[in-house]
Amino acid sequence: MSVSAERDFIQLTRDPLDLQAIALHVRGAEDGAVVTFDGFVRNQSHGRVTLYLDYEAYEPMAVLKMNEIATHLHENFAIHRVAIAHRLGRLKIGETSVFIAVSAPHRAAAFDACRYAIDTLKRTVPIWKKEYFEDGAVWAGGELPPVPAETPERKSAS
Amino acid sequence: MPPVSQTIRVDVLFFGQLKEFLGRAQESVELQAGSSIQDLFQHLAGRNPDLQKFRNSLIASRNQEFAAWRTSLEAGDEIAFLPPVSGG
Repeated sequence: MSVSAERDFIQLTRDPLDLQAIALHVRGAEDGAVVTFDGFVRNQSHGRVTLYLDYEAYEPMAVLKMNEIATHLHENFAIHRVAIAHRLGRLKIGETSVFIAVSAPHRAAAFDACRYAIDTLKRTVPIWKKEYFEDGAVWAGGELPPVPAETPERKSAS
Repeated sequence: MPPVSQTIRVDVLFFGQLKEFLGRAQESVELQAGSSIQDLFQHLAGRNPDLQKFRNSLIASRNQEFAAWRTSLEAGDEIAFLPPVSGG
């Protein structure tokens, strides 16, 4: 299936995300809706006061996985453009860590695709966060991506 | 001279709590040709037995694609051991 992804926007950056620019980027004249997801740093986690978060990524693989999400959206939802941006480095309370924008002619597809994108990002994109509290720090309990089907034993030295 | 056994060299990357635990983000490892990702992990755990406690909470990747533990390695592969992901 062909994918019209030429104006999609996939970004990993240590700079603050420009939410308005990203949301505007996906708008096209034929669209009627943009749905966005803004994930930002909460001031507490499991009852402990959060000071800040440090994000790191397996950067080239993370970009590949974010692109795979965008491709999947085009193949499975009646949408126009996709933007997926994720911050790395140290983030303070209230700063946006992930921002997703999806445009579509009609809102239902944009809502569904945006929800799919954030849920899949949290399961499959190799990004990690460490949470710092007044009394210590922990790596956030995350999700293990689905294990690929066992591949047949390959002969060595092909 | 001992019999010549073919070896391969792969690059290994560590992330998150695993990187922190090991105190390094990457290393180059020489292994017997035909080794799997599981063999590579056991090789590393042979030098650092505490690594075993991470085994069941890791997923592996080969050349930036998730890979099963039994996947065979080729010379020059980039293998990463990934703790549970927590982006977003």
